[in-house]
Amino acid sequence: MNTAVRDLPAPAMFEFDASNWKLAILAGLAISILAALALPASLSFWVIGAMAAMIAAVFAINAYRRKYYGGLLVAPAIAVLFVMNIFPLLWSLGLSFFAYQSNQQTIRFIGLNNYIKVLTNDIAAPANWDALINTGMFVVSTVAAQMIAGFLLAMLFAKQFPLRKYLLILVLTPMMLSVVASGVFFTYYYDPTFGILSYAIGEVTGEQFILMDNKLGAVTGIVFADAWMWSPFVMLLVLAGLVSVPKYLYEAAAIDRVSKWRQFWTITFPYIRGLLMLALLFRTIEAFKLYDLVYILIRGGQDTKTIAYLIAEIANEQNKTSEGAALSYVILFMVIVLTNLYLYLANRRNQGA
Amino acid sequence: MTVMMKLKGLATAAGFAATLMVGGATIASAEDVTLTMAVPDWPPTRIMKKFFDEQYKPKSGNTVKLDVDFIPWPDFYTRVNASLTSGEQKYNFIVSDSQWLGAFVEGGYFRKINDLLEADPDFLATFKTIHPNPLNAYSTYPHKSENYYGFPQFPDVLVNYVRKDIVCHDEEQKNFQAKYGKKLPCTGEELDAMTWDDFKNVGEFFRRKKGDMLAGAPAEDDFYGIAYQAGKGYDFSSMQINGFIWQMGGDTWDETKAPTGQAEGVVNSPEAIAALDKYLSLIEYMPPVAKTGTMDIFVSDQLFREGKVAMNIDWIGLGEASLDPKSSKVSDKLVFGLMPGTMGADGKIIRWSNIGGQPFVLTTWTTDSQIKEAVEFVKWWLSNDIQHQFAQAGGQSAVKAVYEDPKYVSYRPWNRAWAPSLDWQKDVWHVPQFFELLTQQQDQFDLAITGKQDAKTTLDSIAKFQQDKLKEVGLIE
Repeated sequence: MNTAVRDLPAPAMFEFDASNWKLAILAGLAISILAALALPASLSFWVIGAMAAMIAAVFAINAYRRKYYGGLLVAPAIAVLFVMNIFPLLWSLGLSFFAYQSNQQTIRFIGLNNYIKVLTNDIAAPANWDALINTGMFVVSTVAAQMIAGFLLAMLFAKQFPLRKYLLILVLTPMMLSVVASGVFFTYYYDPTFGILSYAIGEVTGEQFILMDNKLGAVTGIVFADAWMWSPFVMLLVLAGLVSVPKYLYEAAAIDRVSKWRQFWTITFPYIRGLLMLALLFRTIEAFKLYDLVYILIRGGQDTKTIAYLIAEIANEQNKTSEGAALSYVILFMVIVLTNLYLYLANRRNQGA
Repeated sequence: MTVMMKLKGLATAAGFAATLMVGGATIASAEDVTLTMAVPDWPPTRIMKKFFDEQYKPKSGNTVKLDVDFIPWPDFYTRVNASLTSGEQKYNFIVSDSQWLGAFVEGGYFRKINDLLEADPDFLATFKTIHPNPLNAYSTYPHKSENYYGFPQFPDVLVNYVRKDIVCHDEEQKNFQAKYGKKLPCTGEELDAMTWDDFKNVGEFFRRKKGDMLAGAPAEDDFYGIAYQAGKGYDFSSMQINGFIWQMGGDTWDETKAPTGQAEGVVNSPEAIAALDKYLSLIEYMPPVAKTGTMDIFVSDQLFREGKVAMNIDWIGLGEASLDPKSSKVSDKLVFGLMPGTMGADGKIIRWSNIGGQPFVLTTWTTDSQIKEAVEFVKWWLSNDIQHQFAQAGGQSAVKAVYEDPKYVSYRPWNRAWAPSLDWQKDVWHVPQFFELLTQQQDQFDLAITGKQDAKTTLDSIAKFQQDKLKEVGLIE
């Protein structure tokens, strides 16, 4: 880095200057606090928003004058991220410490009570734990199904065969469909009266088959539908890894008469491991948010409510906004811990290898 | 990009922003009034919009526009709830399920209309010609008080949809008589006289495998005698179970008795448990999808239209599709009756049922000039002539002079069941906590419907939840 261009001296603490970010923060904070105390909430919200924008602008000017161009370049992205993502996140974190329902006009600070309720209340807590266990079960089963199916599909499509291009497009279609569309499709597929599944099994066994009349069947139905949609995603990633393996490695292995099995573990697998891990990470994070299929296929019946389902129910339908926010934060915390644990393990293995 | 283009872009953006901010409640001049309305997307609301566009001439001479957002049913609550709670103040009129009243009145969104009724004797007179049961359900909060909020948009009740070709077939009639020593109900009047026990017999009698003889020909597919709602979603089992409970002498938590009325001991009374048992005992005769807990009002309706069921209890609101040959395999084979009842000690049938249908309500941010036009519009809507036309086009009317007119029963085959049903309608709770009560209850009913727990456990759990919840919010002392 060239430090010589940053020689413009920083303005003194109380110097009134468009690049004095320390003063801007101080003034912004002071005005925000005054506005929050003196003005009604509907006005002070905008005053505080304007202050935040002012501080951001001062930072930008400061960066421009002192030629921190790197910072300036990422600023728009950070601004969007802040407005669309970080601000709502912090706002809901704040809400989780209040008793607030979106359809009522009152709000009251209650500290950690929402969290205590979510974790210990004798009605809410067991439902939450059930949903959490269900979510865990879905995470393990859907991700496992997708990884296996996606991996096998990728192995298949890595080879050249007639009509490969068209079949590949066909296999990718489920991923492009809306979840609602494929969910509705599967409700008919599983329907005991109209559905082909019950029809086919009924023809063989001679007995009426109802897939969704028990938990195992319902879970299998949901996992299958989910795997049908998302295995192609895993396949795409793995396929990218497979085609990147240099041919000469296989040729060398063939000369050495290395078995196919060893070729796979010593040549292919190291190339695709990173992408497999990535697919695993993406699908795990997604699986934690499973809601749509559970809703469309069985309405959370047969004890299949996931935590996302429960949050939607609490926060959207019942308008218990702050309780929903608290539950969401508990889950967010868990996902962050799990993701970091995973990244830590993945990194350690990479270093070990 | 040139400066001119930039300016144009800015102007467009500003115009767009202004439109967004002003939203639907635009009043361009004193003469132009737009009423924005959120409605579910289905025939009754489409007809209303059509009538308005074709026929409505405001007396004030203003140009009144009805701007209608047609929202699909499954999304309807979520969208309306989001619009109201986000504070966007977009809609002047909202079609609301009756049980939403409390939540949205307490939230300050729905406008009380007593002052409008008092200021306009015509309006009050029209309003008072509505049958008291729908009026209480659709308009009052607290329930059955003198505080009025809504007007009927599409009033609805549960009726019995029946396949005439099946139940009136000679062979089936003869076999049924031989098996049960009773006549298989076939005409409207015979259907009206049915109790749940008769309904059960029909279910048992018409359970046919593919290839079995059915009404003189081998059945093309498995066939079932009866169906009613037994779904976990929204209120798709409560609406049927409540009728059973009220008919058999039990009760749900009665909000008009708050705060002294209890949930525990009432909700799980022996009568209510027996009623739920009765409801559950009929499910085994229904199409197998019932056992998955997903047989809601739409699924049972579809099964019926596909010709898989002999009798289906469902809302009139879904009826038009069953008469249309394009969407129904049974369109020319239908007869309708009252929902079955329970025989009382005096030999008369008790027919309590949960009311369906929706009112539409005014919102609190509607301006005075909009309210003037809105009142005129509602008066026009509830006028005899328009209500008759609405009923002719497939709607229903709760206005007395309209449904008591002898012509009324000729509009649609189910209209014969309409007036007698109205006297037997009650409603679920309208308290702001209704959605919590409803989801918990639907979850519990689902466990019972799918055979995971018995009626007593189910109602005990519902009663305990309601007792705790309502105590917490002060509705039970």
